[in-house]
Amino acid sequence: MMDALIRSLIDGLLLGFVYGIAAMGLTLIWGVMNVINLSHGSLIALGMFSVYYLFVGLGIHPYIALVLTAVLGLIFGIIIYFIAVHRVINAPELSTLLATYSVNMMILGIGTAIFTTTPRNIPLDLGSIQFGDTVITMTRLIAAIISVGVAVGLFLFLKYTRPGRYIRAVTDNRDAAEIVGVPSAQVLALTFGLGTLLAAVSGGLIATFFPFTILSGETYELKSFVIGVLGGLGNPVGSLFGGLILGLIEGLVPMAMPTTWTPVLEFVLFVLILLVAPNGLFGGEE
Amino acid sequence: MAILELHDVTSGYGEVQILWGVSISLQKGSMTSLVGANGAGKTTLLRTIMGLNKAWSGQILFEGKDIHRLAPHTRAARGLVLVPEGRQLFTHMTVEENLLMGASPKRARADINRNLELVYDMFPRLKDRRNQKAGTMSGGEQQMLAVARGIMASPKVLMIDELSLGLAPFLVLQLFESLKKLRETGITVLLVEQNVQMALAVTDYAYVLAEGKIEIEGPSKVVASNPEVKKAYLGL
Ligand SMILES: Nc1ncnc2c1ncn2[C@@H]1O[C@H](COP(=O)(O)OP(=O)(O)O)[C@@H](O)[C@H]1O
Ligand SMILES: [Mg+2]
Repeated sequence: MMDALIRSLIDGLLLGFVYGIAAMGLTLIWGVMNVINLSHGSLIALGMFSVYYLFVGLGIHPYIALVLTAVLGLIFGIIIYFIAVHRVINAPELSTLLATYSVNMMILGIGTAIFTTTPRNIPLDLGSIQFGDTVITMTRLIAAIISVGVAVGLFLFLKYTRPGRYIRAVTDNRDAAEIVGVPSAQVLALTFGLGTLLAAVSGGLIATFFPFTILSGETYELKSFVIGVLGGLGNPVGSLFGGLILGLIEGLVPMAMPTTWTPVLEFVLFVLILLVAPNGLFGGEE
Repeated sequence: MAILELHDVTSGYGEVQILWGVSISLQKGSMTSLVGANGAGKTTLLRTIMGLNKAWSGQILFEGKDIHRLAPHTRAARGLVLVPEGRQLFTHMTVEENLLMGASPKRARADINRNLELVYDMFPRLKDRRNQKAGTMSGGEQQMLAVARGIMASPKVLMIDELSLGLAPFLVLQLFESLKKLRETGITVLLVEQNVQMALAVTDYAYVLAEGKIEIEGPSKVVASNPEVKKAYLGL
């Protein structure tokens, strides 16, 4: 019983890191440009298919496929920004909501036509390692490590590089950024690209241990929203902690009740946080 | 030679017209002041020159080329720099990060170290506070930072909106002293200033804006002795 609990907890926590970077993608876009990206879930699903086809179709190792998926995600996000988001970026928030929602519908529609909704599975088995009495699945451990690496990378990028500084400046004051010479539309496009990259990479990682369809993204989008609210929208570090909390819940629930209760609990948590601490447990964008 | 020229520029917000055909001209290397009552349209004019507001009609020539369709960041890249009203700093970034942001245009990047030295020399206070978040500084320090950020862009034309607003008199004097130093480096300055007497004393040429139109213009000394100006703006 105790073993099962610890194992389930560890599994959940490792998963939590991956959820964390998914949420970071959502929360980065929101924090910088005040856009709620309703295509987030379908972009996560596209990340899953990208890794799947690069591996099963072209024989590229899943972790190398993940790097390619990151690049594709970045490019795809930039394209989405200029096609769908840029023209409504100054309009009221409902417009950007509808714009990203229609992107979502297009991806799901075309995706269902091409991929069908038959579940896929990436046949990657790296075994597991034993720590005392607990067993840790390798793919999950690696996914957690990669997620932490991605989060640290994002932090360093925002803090120490020129484009990162530009993103922070546009977040702080878009007009001021323009007058000091920052092409703010390009910076917003880059931000949308990074948010998409994070979604795609998290999807790719999840696909290395869970089966999926083009519709799977929805679950993870919901989790991203819960984490975003937990950690404070617009706060990437909060996202990681929020992810861990959600991972913990996911690890604990199966011990007490059927796993179908997980989303219910997550939603209850979501509403509670909104009621009690609307800026998140770790503070929002101030 | 004029470095910046406006011909019959009109602009406004939504349906409301604020500028009614403004024509001004800045001589290269000169200091010009733009004065006028609250609500006359001075800020709107500077924002229109910078491109933050669209010019409805008219021409804005910078170094002889019409720039009125360019985005603000492109104008900044060419050397047209605004120190905006209300400072508009990056409040969550440190003082030094704000200064580095000022040096975003490519043409300013080569001068980064020299300009940093220049502004730290001009405002030693900023050097002491360089790792502090800009939003946590006093109003005077923020104003220094706003001017310093403008200088970091290696401007050809530096437009300053309300240099002394809300500042203690000794700080105002200090900022005006720094302006004098700046002109020795050859940049052109357009100064919007509440303190009309001081503005007219340090600049070469002056425009008086009233209800979105240039009402009076001339060498600053002449404008300062204009009876209307004396009565309306100098309280004499
Ligand atoms: N964002 C805005 N929207 C609508 N009207 C504005 C806006 N900003 C300024 N105005 C109006 O434009 C006029 C000129 O303002 P402004 O350019 O700020 O004058 P000044 O800088 O000379 O005090 C004022 O009547 C002001 O109410
Ligand atoms: Mg003003």
